[in-house]
Amino acid sequence: MNALLREARFLAKDRGAVLWIVLALLLSAAATGFGIAEVREQRQTIAALLAEDAKDRANAISKHDAWGDAAYDAFHLTYAPPSDFAFAALGQRDTAPWLHRVRMLSLESQIHEADTANADFGLIGRFDFAFLAAAVAPLLLILLLHDLRAGERVAGRHDWLVASAGTPRRLWLPRAGVRFGGLALALLVPFWIGAAIEGAGFGAALAASALVVGSLAAWWAIIAVVGRRNASPPALLAALVGIWLMLALLIPAAARAGIEAAVPVPDGAEILMLQRDAVNDAWDKPKAATMTPFLARHPEWRALGTVEKPFEWKWYYAFQQVGDQQAEPIVTAYRQGRLARDRAAGWAALLSPAALTERGLERLAGTDTRAMIAYEDRVRAFHARLRAFHYPLFFRDPPYDPVVLDGLPRYDPAP
Amino acid sequence: MTPTLEARSLVVMRDGAAVLNDVSFAIAPGEVFALLGGNGAGKSTTLLTFLGFLQPTAGDVLVAGRSVGDDVEAARAKIAYLPEAASLYGHLNAYENLGYFLDLAGRKVSRAALDAALDQVALPTEARQRRMQSYSKGMRQKTAIALALLRDTPILLLDEPTSGLDPVAIDEFHAMVQALAAAGRTVLMVTHDVYGACQVADRVGLLRGGRLVGSFAASDAGGRIDTETVHAAFAAREAA
Ligand SMILES: Nc1ncnc2c1ncn2[C@@H]1O[C@H](COP(=O)(O)OP(=O)(O)OP(=O)(O)O)[C@@H](O)[C@H]1O
Ligand SMILES: [Mg+2]
Repeated sequence: MNALLREARFLAKDRGAVLWIVLALLLSAAATGFGIAEVREQRQTIAALLAEDAKDRANAISKHDAWGDAAYDAFHLTYAPPSDFAFAALGQRDTAPWLHRVRMLSLESQIHEADTANADFGLIGRFDFAFLAAAVAPLLLILLLHDLRAGERVAGRHDWLVASAGTPRRLWLPRAGVRFGGLALALLVPFWIGAAIEGAGFGAALAASALVVGSLAAWWAIIAVVGRRNASPPALLAALVGIWLMLALLIPAAARAGIEAAVPVPDGAEILMLQRDAVNDAWDKPKAATMTPFLARHPEWRALGTVEKPFEWKWYYAFQQVGDQQAEPIVTAYRQGRLARDRAAGWAALLSPAALTERGLERLAGTDTRAMIAYEDRVRAFHARLRAFHYPLFFRDPPYDPVVLDGLPRYDPAP
Repeated sequence: MTPTLEARSLVVMRDGAAVLNDVSFAIAPGEVFALLGGNGAGKSTTLLTFLGFLQPTAGDVLVAGRSVGDDVEAARAKIAYLPEAASLYGHLNAYENLGYFLDLAGRKVSRAALDAALDQVALPTEARQRRMQSYSKGMRQKTAIALALLRDTPILLLDEPTSGLDPVAIDEFHAMVQALAAAGRTVLMVTHDVYGACQVADRVGLLRGGRLVGSFAASDAGGRIDTETVHAAFAAREAA
């Protein structure tokens, strides 16, 4: 305790070190601020669209007098609201869509319209707390700790200090520890304030703090091992920055490239094209080409499944669904491929404390690949409910009554 | 009586070369021993070995009868060390520097005691609150000597303690060392200064090329080692 106080006073007088810690504090405040602003904007986008959602739909429905027309024009908002921890790790929310307006048409092209770029893997994401803690903070720690011993050696004070302290531990442990603690607090305090403002759960904030401190401790160990070498401060700094580049940037980038090459994933745009073609072709094909695969899935409509007129809504929506059925293999491959890449990335992250930390924070924030795919699945489940609601209307074709449409399923964003 | 400091057939290798070769001496409690020698003779190496920073390749070093290798910490706790080219922190003032080093050594010292030690080495009062980067070489050395005094240990290992001091300060320093010895402290001091060594030491050891090649005791010379004799021995050996 006394040793920590001594080193804290000593640190306070070390302008260079204080500067790095203040910089960490400013960066953390900025990252937290950006994160909060971003999730607020996302929530506002959702709220604004949600306010119009029911009205727009009622408006669209009121213009029609047939079930099929009403379904055609009725859009339903689906969305994944940011968790109260998402401000700390925006993760995939940056690139993967978290908001859709879906209707009764083929679903998969509607889901994947927004992500045709297939941007699951951004190299460096937005500047959020996770990026700061995972990638930038280790560099600050290196700047704070690399020359602890070497600097004193160069100044001719090393042996004097150790002789005074009795053992090296009694000097270096508190000296490095205070710097470590100072940096960790500078990073975590703005984050804690952000977590309180956002109302993030105590458990998640605690787990995130432990993750950040744990990964910094791993970096501390690396710095301690390298810093023990009898080399000049600039040489140690160069070596450590090299290690940082490797572990924080190059290995994750190489792993990403390797995984993308090793685990093929169909392009999101392919789903779009395939489905559009399927739907467009259906117009010219015999009705049976649509109704047979549809009725195989929905035997309950077999009795009412004959299409007699050139155009019937039940046929039209059947071929929308068949479009989804035809896309199933590629959609499954796309989904499985992304999950496989994500699993592989999880293993590769074991090579990089930075990647591991970032993934951990994204997991806590619900902004990782799995969470985004879970959202897609919620959209699919909702769309299935929409179909289940509409099919009796299309097949039985009772007299049109808009009141029935008050019973349309509502999208529930809760996971 | 157990010697406070003892080197027994000490051999120390640095970078594959024997820097100390079969060096033996013993320093009694309350004795002032000056180790004299040219550049690269192995003087600083001797002190670093007593402090446990270098390990004997053969032979042994003992502090208060105990091998340093057995308990470095215990040895260091008994020793106040003044390194050659002692540089305290330039961005701290004298009080802060002394406070830091003393705290590191587990000692709490009052401001009055700091001032008393700084008075003893005649560091100007107005300078004490200034950052040490503005100090002259001698002022820095004085502050480092004050630190050694404040450690209040039974043993002092001093590496060229008078370097940078003006003649008056050197005389005052010698008086201080003798007072410490009179109070029972054991002093091993390394120097190039033949005259100073003869003036202050009870015994002078002459180190050359890592070997102890001469030893001169005040008791043998009627209380005062003869500077001429030592200087001649030093010069002869250096020429050899
Ligand atoms: N860090 C080191 N690594 C390897 N060899 C060293 C090291 N420091 C000193 N030496 C060698 O050890 C020998 C003794 O050096 P030492 O510093 O003990 O001499 P010294 O008597 O204190 O000299 P000076 O009067 O110049 O201070 C020299 O030959 C020197 O080259
Ligand atoms: Mg020397």
